[in-house]
Amino acid sequence: MGQTKDETRKNTGDMSQEPQIVFQNVVKYFGNTTAVEKMNLTVKKGEFIAIMGSSGCGKTTTLRMLAGMETPSEGEIRLNGQRINELKPSERNTPMVWQSLALFPFLNVIQNVEFGLKMRGIGTEERRRRSLEWLSRMAIEEFAERSIDQLSGGQRQRVALARALVTEPPVLLLDEPLSALDANLVVRMQGVLSRLQKELGITFVYVTHSQSEAFAMADRVVIMSKGVVEQVGSPQEVYRKPASRFVANFVGSNNILNGDVSAIDTSSVIIETEIGAVRANLPTDHEYSMGVHLGLVISADAMDLSMTEEQSKDNQFRCRLVSESFVGAMVTMLVETDSGIELKIQLFQKELDQIGFSENTSSSGTFLWVSWSKSSVYILPQ
Amino acid sequence: MKNTGRLLTVILIGYLVFIFIFIFTPIITSIIFSFNSDRFPTIPLGSFTLKWYELIYNDPDVWEAAKNSLIVSVSVGILSTIIGFCTAYTDFRYEFRFKNMYLALALLPPTVPLIILALAMLAWFSKIGVSGQLWTIVLAHTVLCAPFAMAVIRLRLQQMDADLESAAWNLGASEWLAMKEVVIPFALPSIVSAMCLTMAVSFDEFAVAWFVSGLNKTIPVMILEILQGNIDPQINAIGTFVFFTSMTLVIIAQLFFTFRSPKATL
Repeated sequence: MGQTKDETRKNTGDMSQEPQIVFQNVVKYFGNTTAVEKMNLTVKKGEFIAIMGSSGCGKTTTLRMLAGMETPSEGEIRLNGQRINELKPSERNTPMVWQSLALFPFLNVIQNVEFGLKMRGIGTEERRRRSLEWLSRMAIEEFAERSIDQLSGGQRQRVALARALVTEPPVLLLDEPLSALDANLVVRMQGVLSRLQKELGITFVYVTHSQSEAFAMADRVVIMSKGVVEQVGSPQEVYRKPASRFVANFVGSNNILNGDVSAIDTSSVIIETEIGAVRANLPTDHEYSMGVHLGLVISADAMDLSMTEEQSKDNQFRCRLVSESFVGAMVTMLVETDSGIELKIQLFQKELDQIGFSENTSSSGTFLWVSWSKSSVYILPQ
Repeated sequence: MKNTGRLLTVILIGYLVFIFIFIFTPIITSIIFSFNSDRFPTIPLGSFTLKWYELIYNDPDVWEAAKNSLIVSVSVGILSTIIGFCTAYTDFRYEFRFKNMYLALALLPPTVPLIILALAMLAWFSKIGVSGQLWTIVLAHTVLCAPFAMAVIRLRLQQMDADLESAAWNLGASEWLAMKEVVIPFALPSIVSAMCLTMAVSFDEFAVAWFVSGLNKTIPVMILEILQGNIDPQINAIGTFVFFTSMTLVIIAQLFFTFRSPKATL
């Protein structure tokens, strides 16, 4: 759903110009296994796109095909309108930041950064000048003459970035570049990357298994599973309108319910689920009939809580508190409905105070009323 | 438990000491007698002298043999290192059917008894009518030494992050440039090590050289020929020279072999 909407917007907005990167029916086999299946994807110039999925989903293979380390078995990949399937890695200008960083251990910092320029036959002086510029841009010019093993993880990361960007490429590929850093540094480097991408205005293709990294930086995310693109959309779309059950599960903090349509009126549809009847908005273009099986997604932060039963709620269920955990100002609660199904709820601490919920009254087993509006129920595409 | 551990240490140290005694006593004896004025190696020693060294210095045959040995060992060092590098690189870079068989074949020559290898070489060289030439020794030694070079270089390449070469291509290096700028610099310590090691092996090798050499004697062949004639303290002087040359090469090889560039891991 999110996907189709996104496609139409792009097609109308960008007719004049071919997108920078196009994957057209790309398939990649390794022996008998299919690593990437019928991939269709377009990336606009200057976009920050994150390809996300668990390990073995084909995200790294996709990136390696873009860099030329793998050749597609079928289909076509175009970069700036030119077919690149047959180009050698050295004939594309698609530098990559590697998960292992792959810095050359026998070269010092500035020699590492100069490498790409040297391979392009650029003279010693200009090479040095441009590399120094990038080192200072990454705030590591003081380490120019150091050897790689004398640097910290974050500094190496910056060297790897400078090395990839010094040739001023149209596209930068990043393969889980932050996976080896500790949490604090990850947040800092996310800031560095986002800012860099905006300043340079070049396309970033970022492969990660981390939802927080992808959502924090990307304009659009691609969610892959077992070689198949499950959804392409902005982080909000993927989060609010998951295109499939897989995506709904993958992006976490969602409650997923299943049931059959038991009633339809002019504005809403009622689905008999495992926790009872749930009321949802009736989509205008619906094709639901009685008894159709549907999957529902209600995100944890769309749920409300009260200590007593309230009137005029679209959906309201009595639950028992199972557990709660606090992260900063956010509280995540697990509750169990009378029918024994667990629901996840996310609220601000402030909201909890307002409804008179406090540490003292909240022992596990306390009865609460959980409610949500019918508009926050998202019906998964069938 | 602790006591048995200590006992074991003592035994092992004793064992090591004995090995060193057995290896080095004859060599050291030979070195000492090379400075002894007496014609026969007897104790008590005579006076200190350099005359045996003067003798070999003034002997054109020794120079000829030394020149032959130098030419052979340097050529063998270079050739077998090149072949060894190529074999090690194919192992590192490519996956193919029968790769294990390929590797086994590449490592085979040192397992063939030297005398068999030497005889086979002689027979084959005579058959094609090239026996007795210096370069046939080079060829025969290269067959023998290339597997050592390969083993040394292969160990180093195994430490290389496979992404390193891809990273070079990714930054615009052609396959040749990546080889020149990344693979060879990374493997350089092992390349130097392999070269020194194969030079040392070739320099000391006797059996194959004796069979194949004809009139172009290398030093080990010449030593045997002198020994067959008479007891001559010149041998001790030549032996000392050979010992120090080989030791230097092997020590350099070892130093480079154990070299580990600090790996750029996080």
